[in-house]
Amino acid sequence: MKPGNPSVIAREYMERGSSETCPLIDMHTHYGPYPGAYLPAMPPDKMRHALQRCGVKKIVCSAHEALLGDLERGNTLMQEGIDECPELFLGYWVVNPNYPEAVVRLPEDFARTRGFVGLKLGPDYHTYPLTGSGYAPALEYANERGLIILVHTWGDSLFNSPQQVAAVAEKYPEATFLMGHSGFGDFETSVRVARDFPNAYLELTCVYIAHDFAMQPAGSGTPLPLNSYLHVNGIIEYMVENASAKKIVFGTDMPWYSPHYAAGAILFARIDDDARHDICHRNAERLLAKFPID
Amino acid sequence: MKLFDCNCSYGISPRPAFRYARDPAELIAEMDFCGIDRALVYHAGMRCSSPAFWNQQFATEVESFPRLEPTWALLPTQTGEQLPPDEFLAAMKANGVRALWAFPSEHHYRLDGRTFGELLEVMTERRIPLFAKLNLIGLGDFMKEFPDLTAVAVNQGPHSLERYLRPLVDTYPNLYVDTSYYIVEGLIEEFCARYGPKRLLFGSAFPDNCSGAALLRLIQADTDDATKEALAGGNLERLLSEVRL
Repeated sequence: MKPGNPSVIAREYMERGSSETCPLIDMHTHYGPYPGAYLPAMPPDKMRHALQRCGVKKIVCSAHEALLGDLERGNTLMQEGIDECPELFLGYWVVNPNYPEAVVRLPEDFARTRGFVGLKLGPDYHTYPLTGSGYAPALEYANERGLIILVHTWGDSLFNSPQQVAAVAEKYPEATFLMGHSGFGDFETSVRVARDFPNAYLELTCVYIAHDFAMQPAGSGTPLPLNSYLHVNGIIEYMVENASAKKIVFGTDMPWYSPHYAAGAILFARIDDDARHDICHRNAERLLAKFPID
Repeated sequence: MKLFDCNCSYGISPRPAFRYARDPAELIAEMDFCGIDRALVYHAGMRCSSPAFWNQQFATEVESFPRLEPTWALLPTQTGEQLPPDEFLAAMKANGVRALWAFPSEHHYRLDGRTFGELLEVMTERRIPLFAKLNLIGLGDFMKEFPDLTAVAVNQGPHSLERYLRPLVDTYPNLYVDTSYYIVEGLIEEFCARYGPKRLLFGSAFPDNCSGAALLRLIQADTDDATKEALAGGNLERLLSEVRL
């Protein structure tokens, strides 16, 4: 039977797998191998193939290696990845406050990059709070330069809760904060932060899939366990209604989650096509417009 | 393509999704919105409150909805909460139930031979599929004990668990996987290339997750149409047709 969903964009994706008029810009992706999981689309050629099949026209990446291993090597790998495919890949420079000398060196390092639009912070992974002094030089730099900061966020985390994002969004108003995973599990607070702070956005990676870490033998894979949240259907409608479609950006953690799965959650949400355009590409286009790319 | 969702539910749970189906009619409306033809369904109460009550209640509720096929949830017989195997099977037959669910963490039991031995032996013999919401370490122990049972590994993910999963799928030919949490890019395609198209079942996990997300992932899988048809519903139809009550 044919879907009753009246969305023209949804029909296009169902029939062709992508949309000319409503492409995807993925604001949360990764690059290179990940130690804790086998990811079939990790090799860059496979990743590009998958992105092309779903009509993703631009992604913003950070290197797994920089987040989880050798910071310097990882950021260098990310630069190489961007250089190989600058028409598709943009980058986030990973900041790890456990290496303060690298944080101090950030202005000099970032000035040498090509295709980087901001910073990626993983406080849960580095067990260091977003509001701690170790991040401050990087946040000040991002604020001066008007950079995008993608922060891994999770509800009730000691290190990167949506409440902590509110604190830094207020303190650094010229930086743009994307709440990676939208403070998963504490969506109510994340939505309030996105609504109340003009420079805070909800980012959708994994928001569209329930997480029951008891079903994963090694749990969440972070140094401290993350909370589970078991029912997410309708979350996108809730976000649009309470924070507006203008404050939501598309993301997949690619090469983790299928862009078709993520797109399906938006295309079959009970929102209108104008909101779908905002989430899938328009908001990202607006955020990326000030960077000298393309 | 006929879509037959192997993993969805309706009903009231203590922490509901932002949008869910309260009754069979609302579930049918969700299926219509996505273009899903049929569903193998459980009731939220079977998972969250009382299987003993909701198994029967729910089977009656869906009787007038031919697109919804009911399943039941297991409980140990030792506590007197579930009928002995022969009576339980007779009740399944009377209510048109051809598949069972196990929620060991929600219902606090061990899915093993000590707890369910006789029933699991009968299920194996009669080819009754068991949808087991159990992590892959537990499922590996279970399959070692009952290698010939038709088991469906549900809600496996959303992280890639391939390093746990593939040794099990390699070892146990009667182990199937539902797609509801199998959402890491490329996994469906690699699974089908490695094992053929017969062991994956389309599942949405609605209302935990969005039906349309699972739907678009399947429809746009990088496989041939015959593989998609099998995943979409052919495999589930075949498994249910093999059941002898």
